[in-house]
Amino acid sequence: MGEVLFFVAGIGAVAGAIGVVALRNPFYSVLALVSHLLCLAALFLLLRAEFVAAAQVVVYAGAVMVLYVFVVAYIGGQDEPLGPRAGRGLKVISVLFGVALFIELSIATLGSGLQLVDSPGAAVAASFGSPAEIGTLLLTKYLLVFELASFLLLIAVVGAVVLARRRGGLSAAEEQERYSAMDILRSSYTGTMAEAVGGPHSLPKKAGAAESAPADDPAPADDPAPAPADDPTPTTEPAPAGEPTSADDPATPEDQR
Amino acid sequence: MIATAETIEAPHVDWAGLSPLIAVFLGAIVVLLLGLSRSRSARETAVPLLSIATLAIAIGLSVGRWGERTDLIAGALRLDELTLILTILFCVAGIATVLLSWRHVAPRELAHGEYYALLLSSIAGMIVLVAAQNLVAVFVGLELLSIPLYVLCAAEMRRASSLESGLKYLVIGSVGSATVLYGLAFIYGATGSTDFGRIAEVLAGGDVASDVLLLTGVALTIAGMAFKASVAPFHQWTPDVYEGAPTPITAFMAVATKAAAFGVVLRLFDVALIDAALDWGPALAVLAAITIVVGNVGALGQSSLKRLLAYSSVAQAGYMLAGVVVATRLGLQATIFYIAVYLVMNLAAFAVIVARERETPLGDDISSLNGIGATRPALAWSMTISMLALAGFPATAGFIGKFYLIEAAVAGAYTWLAVFIVVGSMISLAYYLKVIAAIWMQPAEDDGTVVATEPVPLADGGETPLLAGGAEEATSARGQGELVGVAVVFAALTVILGIVPSPLLDVVRDAGAALGLL
Repeated sequence: MGEVLFFVAGIGAVAGAIGVVALRNPFYSVLALVSHLLCLAALFLLLRAEFVAAAQVVVYAGAVMVLYVFVVAYIGGQDEPLGPRAGRGLKVISVLFGVALFIELSIATLGSGLQLVDSPGAAVAASFGSPAEIGTLLLTKYLLVFELASFLLLIAVVGAVVLARRRGGLSAAEEQERYSAMDILRSSYTGTMAEAVGGPHSLPKKAGAAESAPADDPAPADDPAPAPADDPTPTTEPAPAGEPTSADDPATPEDQR
Repeated sequence: MIATAETIEAPHVDWAGLSPLIAVFLGAIVVLLLGLSRSRSARETAVPLLSIATLAIAIGLSVGRWGERTDLIAGALRLDELTLILTILFCVAGIATVLLSWRHVAPRELAHGEYYALLLSSIAGMIVLVAAQNLVAVFVGLELLSIPLYVLCAAEMRRASSLESGLKYLVIGSVGSATVLYGLAFIYGATGSTDFGRIAEVLAGGDVASDVLLLTGVALTIAGMAFKASVAPFHQWTPDVYEGAPTPITAFMAVATKAAAFGVVLRLFDVALIDAALDWGPALAVLAAITIVVGNVGALGQSSLKRLLAYSSVAQAGYMLAGVVVATRLGLQATIFYIAVYLVMNLAAFAVIVARERETPLGDDISSLNGIGATRPALAWSMTISMLALAGFPATAGFIGKFYLIEAAVAGAYTWLAVFIVVGSMISLAYYLKVIAAIWMQPAEDDGTVVATEPVPLADGGETPLLAGGAEEATSARGQGELVGVAVVFAALTVILGIVPSPLLDVVRDAGAALGLL
């Protein structure tokens, strides 16, 4: 029974993994990933790692995958291929490296892993891998790692938030704060922050690239910036009195970086 | 389930031993909160000052713990001289990075609190990484080091190349981390333990050292660490990421990340896997030789200073790897010494690059240094000393470092690798001297205070972005005191350590003794 389940789950896991990279439609890729993760959970069960199997289903197949589905549904792009087409040389090399890694891992598993198939297995305690055991380890041996992981999550959230924040993160009041008399005397294009930030009179620069940067998917970063014609705020609008000269000039293409 | 009813004994926490790490963590939290302040001076002045204070406190606490050799928190971390000297080096690099970022556009774009908090947490990750003597701690330290750096690389969000740099580093770095994790899992599978000490015992006790499972794990770990330390052929990301990232972050990555990667490699390979040295030694030696050649040849054709230093850092990683390969105490000492002097030399060079990026519209192109020998002697001399030291000229710290490495390689029966180091250094003169020639022999295009009113065409046909490194004070040399200070201090240290290396050599000797190698 165990062998049958192993081969069913193993073939399912491999097929799911192939589906993730082979399917062109991102939504089907996500579904393939879900089936892959469920098969992995079955394999964990066969290893008597009930906790890991449950965590796999709840965290990955459940929570993380829902996020993926949301992102795919939100961004859409089902008709666009994922990323630019790779060159022929790159494809050949990547296949070669994949084959090399496969051979290396096959030697490793056939060479030592499979020798142990008929043996009773590693000498582990009966409670090895049980939730109680894992909890005990997290609070004793891996206490420091446990605490560090929480800090790591905090810093990852901070990083994601600062990257995904609205690009007009500097509020109007703050903008005004940085202007001084020197700004009026200074000629334009002096590399000031006012020019970099643009203020209300410049085009939205790189909005697409900036917002897609933290995403896992590199493809949207290649999207061109929104066309200036779509810009609701006309750049030729006369500046109100008191605006510094450096922000007066309509944004020229050179300014678009 | 019955086991839960028993009381669990919490591990002993040695607060004094952990104090440098705790100081950095606390500093990161306080800086993050202070960054929310409404007052602009609190955000733009107090936050960097507090970051410097945090790092200075961590240095002080590390010095105070000198000489202790204990395990911390159930053996997750090891407190010894190797940990302490690398902690001090990370903090020095961090202080220099804070000074280089002082008026830079990057912290303002990312918000000051977050920028410096990310920097501090990256340093904390490095400390964990080099102190770790447990495979799980190694991986968490590696992630804690990397994730803030991915964000910091993309800090200048309105510059496409900065975003590209962050994205590239994220993708490549994640592949590297995954490879390391895969390798560590294999090592655990082969030895049955995640503790370095236990792994070493298992390897010493049986024929596990020739086990295919273990060797696969070691190979994958080497590949993953090579990504982090930008060792060829895993270095391709380095020039692009270094060029695109904000220059202070480039400086930090070039010196601190490399030091951390080598710190963990030293401990992992020279403690846990020391009995498999016959297997990984030749592999690392070949990687070192390839890295020296690829880095030095790649740097020859570069016109961007940051790309040039990126390739130079690849080559330097090859030199440092030679000290790891030999797996002797001499090799360990030589590697740590070289990590220290490499940090000093590179920080001087990057300070000059940041200064010139602000003074000229040329960005980090090599022509931005044209003629500064006459106009900005302090920067010119710092850059000259730094370049000569990186090339390994006598009377600089770089010479002593290379001398030490070559000695270790020859003594460890890797004479051919020593030949590679010497030939690589000879090739490297071609590009380091190119920089020096630009400083002293090219006519100054401007006096360094004129600001371009239109994009300036570069040698490679592109145009300088007007805002390259653009700070508010892009106009003149005023307000550059901290940059000149960093450049001069580290250049002076380069010369001092080149003439009187014995204090650093003594410190390094302590660190070498800590690992118990022959």
